[in-house]
Amino acid sequence: MLVELKSGETLNGHLVNCDTWMNLTLKEVIQTSPDGDKFFRLSECYVRGNNIKYLRVPDEIIDLVKESQQQHQGGSSGGYQSRGGRGGHQNQRGGGDRGGRGGGGGDRGSHRGGRGGRGRGRGGA
Amino acid sequence: MMDAPLPPLPPQMFTTSAQLLDLTDKKLLVSLRDGRKFIGVLRTWDQYANLVLQNTVERIIVDDMYCDIKRGVFIVRGENVLLLGEIDLDKEDFFPYRLAPHKEVFARQLEVQQEKKRKEKTHKKKLLQLGFETETEVTGL
Repeated sequence: MLVELKSGETLNGHLVNCDTWMNLTLKEVIQTSPDGDKFFRLSECYVRGNNIKYLRVPDEIIDLVKESQQQHQGGSSGGYQSRGGRGGHQNQRGGGDRGGRGGGGGDRGSHRGGRGGRGRGRGGA
Repeated sequence: MMDAPLPPLPPQMFTTSAQLLDLTDKKLLVSLRDGRKFIGVLRTWDQYANLVLQNTVERIIVDDMYCDIKRGVFIVRGENVLLLGEIDLDKEDFFPYRLAPHKEVFARQLEVQQEKKRKEKTHKKKLLQLGFETETEVTGL
């Protein structure tokens, strides 16, 4: 996924983990300067959530996550938005050493609580 | 439904949740604090007004030209949103700008940005001479 920070820098990498403050850990990251003229490769990085402007998620991931979610728990209720964020994004690369939860919301993990049910229904549409 | 007496909501509900609820699954224009504009379908959101947009395009408008860049699924951190609004689907085809090739728009955009930077620089210099410390820049693009 792609993360753009408020400073205009972008980070392109695989999401490893996230929390309810939108803090992220990424791996295999390519960092791009705000002007897009300098590039850095980082094997790992941590982003404090408050520096994030937006995230971009490839469409394919959404489908992959949907599949892996069905496999793992046949789409049970709750849980989807609250935690997770491991399985899905690792599966994207065929990895997935911690399968655990379906990992529906790697990206949504950061959107916490509350609106679970509805978000899930429509988001999947 | 509509005429059933509703319990009063706290005032702030009208400015975030209630509004966003109405806008869910609608096509929206989202303007970010850095001046960029995104058009996509609002799929979900949370208490911070973090938004999830689907089929997003970034619309770049310079002079009388515009172009769209596909951005796919797009999650905006709420604090970066300047404003958002529903797009009138009947009217959106009558966008009063000319669709131009990306190349053309980017080239012009670069010119405009550089011009703006130059102006800002001289402006800052002048202010500094007069003894004003200018604000740190907030604009990204």
